[in-house]
Amino acid sequence: MVDVQLSDAEKVFILHGVQDNCREDGRGCEDYRHLEIETSVMSNTNGSARVRLANTDILVGVKAELGTPSPEKLNKGRIEFFVDCSANATPEFEGRGGEDLATDISNMLYRAYDCPNCFDLQQLCVIPDQQCWILYVDILLLECGGNLFDATSLAVKAALFNTSIPTVTVTKDEGVVDLEISDDPYDVQRLDMKSSPCIVTLSKVGHSHVVDASQKEECCTLARLIMGVTEKGTITALKKEGSGSLDPTSIEDMMETGRRVGESLNKCLMDALAEEERQGTKKKSLGFLR
Amino acid sequence: MPTDSRRLTGPEETKSPYAYVKQKKKLQVLTGKRHDGRSPETLRPIFLKADVVSQARGSAYIEQDNTKVMCAVYGPREVGRKEDFSMKGIINCVFKYATFSCRYRRSYQQDSEEKDMSVQLLDALEPAVCMHKFPKAQVDIYVTVLQNDGSALAAAITCASVALANAGVDMYDLVAGCSVRIADNLVLVDPTESEEYKSQDDNPVNHGSVTLGYMPSLYQVSAITSKGEIEFEVIKKAINLCGNTSQTLYPVLQKCLNNSRFSLSLRFSLSLVRYHFCVQF
Amino acid sequence: MADDFKYGPHEKDVRPDGRELGEFRRTVLNIGCITTAEGSALVKLGNTTIMCGIKAELAAPKPAEPDRGFIVPNVQLTPLCSPHFRPGPPSEQAQVMSQFIAEVIKNSGCVDCQNLCVVPGKLVWVLHCDLMCLDYDGNVYDTAVLALLAAFRNTRLPHVEEKEEVPEVTMDKTCSLIVSSQPVSSTFSIFDDRILFVDPTVEEEGLATGMVTVVTVGNKLCMVHKPGGSPLKSEQLLTCFDRAFDRSKEVLRLIEETILSVER
Repeated sequence: MVDVQLSDAEKVFILHGVQDNCREDGRGCEDYRHLEIETSVMSNTNGSARVRLANTDILVGVKAELGTPSPEKLNKGRIEFFVDCSANATPEFEGRGGEDLATDISNMLYRAYDCPNCFDLQQLCVIPDQQCWILYVDILLLECGGNLFDATSLAVKAALFNTSIPTVTVTKDEGVVDLEISDDPYDVQRLDMKSSPCIVTLSKVGHSHVVDASQKEECCTLARLIMGVTEKGTITALKKEGSGSLDPTSIEDMMETGRRVGESLNKCLMDALAEEERQGTKKKSLGFLR
Repeated sequence: MPTDSRRLTGPEETKSPYAYVKQKKKLQVLTGKRHDGRSPETLRPIFLKADVVSQARGSAYIEQDNTKVMCAVYGPREVGRKEDFSMKGIINCVFKYATFSCRYRRSYQQDSEEKDMSVQLLDALEPAVCMHKFPKAQVDIYVTVLQNDGSALAAAITCASVALANAGVDMYDLVAGCSVRIADNLVLVDPTESEEYKSQDDNPVNHGSVTLGYMPSLYQVSAITSKGEIEFEVIKKAINLCGNTSQTLYPVLQKCLNNSRFSLSLRFSLSLVRYHFCVQF
Repeated sequence: MADDFKYGPHEKDVRPDGRELGEFRRTVLNIGCITTAEGSALVKLGNTTIMCGIKAELAAPKPAEPDRGFIVPNVQLTPLCSPHFRPGPPSEQAQVMSQFIAEVIKNSGCVDCQNLCVVPGKLVWVLHCDLMCLDYDGNVYDTAVLALLAAFRNTRLPHVEEKEEVPEVTMDKTCSLIVSSQPVSSTFSIFDDRILFVDPTVEEEGLATGMVTVVTVGNKLCMVHKPGGSPLKSEQLLTCFDRAFDRSKEVLRLIEETILSVER
């Protein structure tokens, strides 16, 4: 993980703050930092989003391509996650430095999205057994300010929500199958993202746990619980990370918090995305220069 | 696909005979009655033996019926890669399925599933090892699944922790692995390959699996992973069941180590108290 | 130091582990232990352990040889079996061993590739024979050859039927692989350019000045593999052959007994 150096005194300060439900930046234990989302930031993708969570900055682009389905899932499409830890974010990512973190994040996303109810892969099917859409989700870490997992999942969900796949008409002519891809930008198919999960990371700091840990707080935790939560409060993936262990009762508490926070996080995100969509073309594009 | 010049290779495109089997397997409905006659809460019989590889510092072999896993531990030895100086030791985990261990043939290189398993195994073992006891050095843990009939990760966790203890690596506690399959209201302990959760067969909500790494004498969870969409109450129940079942494994692990070359090399030092009650320092 | 220690005992025809010069370590054989493989065997020669798993797959044959299947042996010296091996692509040693095993299969003709044909010109069996070393304590060659032979004897291929050009496999109906000859290998180490001893441990291999591997099939000689090292007199080589034929009988008896006990 991306490390900052903290002295013992600073750690004690953070630890005591968390104990009293007042964190170094004034938040409570279950509060997120200021979050900005903008979709449709890149015109050459099928869908894109940029999320800025305090100093964490993430850009996601979704590209849809036609391909053959994998042999185990013949009537379904595929979704693939690629995480790129840019050396812009931190010098540690230079060369192959960010590779481990990148696979960690993409594996977690795979697992969170790997259940039929939270992301229906059947909507990506074009011709069963032959053709399907493959969604390549490319995630670029522009800046690291802690809590990468949550921010990435928010950006991914927003980008997938924003994704529009051109409508494909299949015509069969004497056994010859013909695919026609519509080039009308309004003749598109959207993805159903209603029950897709967000990732919530709970970091154990002292005896309490916090959500959306900043980099300094991440430095003070030995164990984190990362969970995928849907809007209904179901858990789609669970993972413990870090070199510390956890008490079974504290796992229960953390999961309870995670579920509560996850539910509202999903709701807030969907509301914000719907609001942005309502503004339509009148929306002022923020872009990267503010 | 790039050709492998260092191995003998057969024809480029081969297909498993399972791909030609006519009657496709129907979606299995899991009931409380399991095909091997176990009740939902029973583990398969376990055979555990330490000290199986003569060349290794420590090693162990576990058999849960048809799931067979072998683990060897080497080190602490010099850190291979150029790394920053660190007062804490490094653990390196490599998890690999043997090419013949599954229904479909596995490749020689680690695939993404095996890499993910390596990380999960590391997460499960790290909390149990006194990392400060071997600064600037690394311990290598190699796990090979010889045959996979379900719950391979759980078996690997148990096996690797015994191998670590067998190697005389200082540890706070052993780690016992246990996994369960959740199917609606049913929780099946130690699922076999056919009972395991597979994301491709369209399961509704509350179908999934949970794997837990548990430290039985500290009552601490060292690793937890889940797959599938599960409701909160159900997953809570499953985690509890996993913990309780892991607890029952503890005597088996202890006995196995007692019979091995070194009698128990676990050290419950005072540092343990410091470690767990003031997690930061 | 180690040299002195070893030198003394060898003069008196006794080795560090108490064996005589011509004595093999205890050989343990377990057949059919991996049910996910079409054929499998585990061999322990003293501490040295090798697991052989045979996975059968279907493929199209080479156009030049439309009625011949494929046998693809590979030796894996896993990082698990010795501190000298690290993860990654196979080392030179492993490549040499794989090549040796392939030669044994080819020269002994133990499995005829024509028996692996399903539909000539269309479909043949590919046998992936993976020899995994699980404990590297010397004499891997002999152990590997024995594991391979035992796994071949254990291999059962599923029944394939072609219905309207489409192959159909029945997994429950199987038939045994035909093993036409049984190669057995015996390895000798040469110490100090003159003393010959059989079945070296990893320690002894390190001290040896040369090695000879003799592969026999029944009462015939199949292959001699001598990768450099100190030269041998022809009489010495003849003693090797004699010992190898004796060993072959012992090993074949062991295989028969094991197969019988497994069937029972």
